[in-house]
Amino acid sequence: MRPPRGSGRVLGVVLLVALLVSLADIGMLDLGRVVRGARNLGEFAAAMFPPDPSSLPTLAEAMVETIEIAFVGTAIGFALALPLALLASPVLFGPAVTGPVKLVLAGVRTVPSLFWAIVFVVAVGLGPAAGALGVALYSLGYLGKLLYETFDGVDPEVVEAVRSVGASRAQLARYAIVPEAANGVLAQLLFMFEYNVRASSIMGFVGAGGIGFYLLGYIQLLRYDLLLTALILTLAVVILIDRASALLRRTFLFPVSPPAPGE
Amino acid sequence: MRVALERPTVRVVGEERTVLEVRDAHFAYVRSRPVVRGVTIHASPGEVTMILGTSGSGKTTLLKLCKGLLVPQRGDVRVLGDEVAAPRRGRLDPRVAYIPQQLGLVRSLSAMENALVGALARVGTLPSLLRLMPEPEVRRARELLGRLGIGHKAEEPVHALSGGERQRVAIARALMQDPRVLLADEFISDLDPLTGAEIMSLVRDAAGEGVAVVMTTHEMDVVREHADHVVVLREGETSLDAHGVPDARAITEALRR
Repeated sequence: MRPPRGSGRVLGVVLLVALLVSLADIGMLDLGRVVRGARNLGEFAAAMFPPDPSSLPTLAEAMVETIEIAFVGTAIGFALALPLALLASPVLFGPAVTGPVKLVLAGVRTVPSLFWAIVFVVAVGLGPAAGALGVALYSLGYLGKLLYETFDGVDPEVVEAVRSVGASRAQLARYAIVPEAANGVLAQLLFMFEYNVRASSIMGFVGAGGIGFYLLGYIQLLRYDLLLTALILTLAVVILIDRASALLRRTFLFPVSPPAPGE
Repeated sequence: MRVALERPTVRVVGEERTVLEVRDAHFAYVRSRPVVRGVTIHASPGEVTMILGTSGSGKTTLLKLCKGLLVPQRGDVRVLGDEVAAPRRGRLDPRVAYIPQQLGLVRSLSAMENALVGALARVGTLPSLLRLMPEPEVRRARELLGRLGIGHKAEEPVHALSGGERQRVAIARALMQDPRVLLADEFISDLDPLTGAEIMSLVRDAAGEGVAVVMTTHEMDVVREHADHVVVLREGETSLDAHGVPDARAITEALRR
């Protein structure tokens, strides 16, 4: 259906007005403030240089802890998400099961991992365990959704073929759905881990371990040169993990499209 | 043979037992457009039944009805006297093997593992979930793959195999079920003629061991060379049902009429 003539222009004007009103409301049309902000940013940047490497040993240790939080969190999240994603798969279960499971996953996913970390700091006390649990819970919600969507996308012919041998539902999951979705599962697991490394690097803001504790501390102490060192380290690790997961993908993924028959 | 004696419900036509019986089956995905309209077919052990029809004539739907993947809205489908239709998401009858058009092999699993899938109905849930297949099943799958000429590729993942090799894996999986009926959809259409002939001779071997083979095709050459029983479907209805191979003109007429 084509929208009526001229409606595009009307929509454009409406959006522009909404943007201007929003800018004014949040104080970004205050020219003096913008200029002041730019000057402050300049000073902030200047204070960052040169980065001070003296804290590198401490930061390296915190970085290892950050990766551990992400790793443990991803692992626990995955272990919980896999069975739930299968329960949410319409190939295996009816809407009476898939509906509530999807709702739980959506609920868990709505809350950011940083907030879950606060909850777990209250529950298990300050430190990386709270961070890992926060990451795990968020991963559960997010991975659960990614996984059941991948399971839904499994070639229906494979499902039919394996059902046809007289397989039970559990066998169908084990021999058709999970192995057929292996590519997607691995890709999502790597994506989740990369995401969680970034999420874990701010867990320290709420006392849940990792390099975030130092990031926040350096900001509060106005030690921007130390902050830059920490940021560079984080960036380096993120790039490294990105590369490593690309390598893993190349090594373990099987080709999606089969070669031409008779080849 | 044994099963036939134990089951008095088996239909006996002269000396010939009917293993698969489709009686007046109707099916429509959308109520207003029936795809299979009152089809009746009997398939006997040792025979290769070929279902011919243009695309959209209901061949694939008919095979899925025979497997119990679809449930007829009228009429019924019986295998050795038992209805094949299972409750939604329930277990299907392993005595009917089904090879879909694209074979339905699990690409990340090896040829061996795919063959072993055929044994799942005989293996308990817990050991199969742990991938602990009983030794006799493994031995049998290995022997079967060897007999089908791909013993040396048993450990290769399916995605690394050629088209003909995959067909053999699909046959191995089907035979692991100890099937009484083997359903195959457009089985050798994608193969070169030489490989196709090899694969068909393997299917003939299965029929020789007493399996009722039912396959769809649209290739007259395949029908001429391998069919014992020909059924032509036209717009969901049987327009020809003949034992032996009718001449090409009769078939063409049945396809078009």
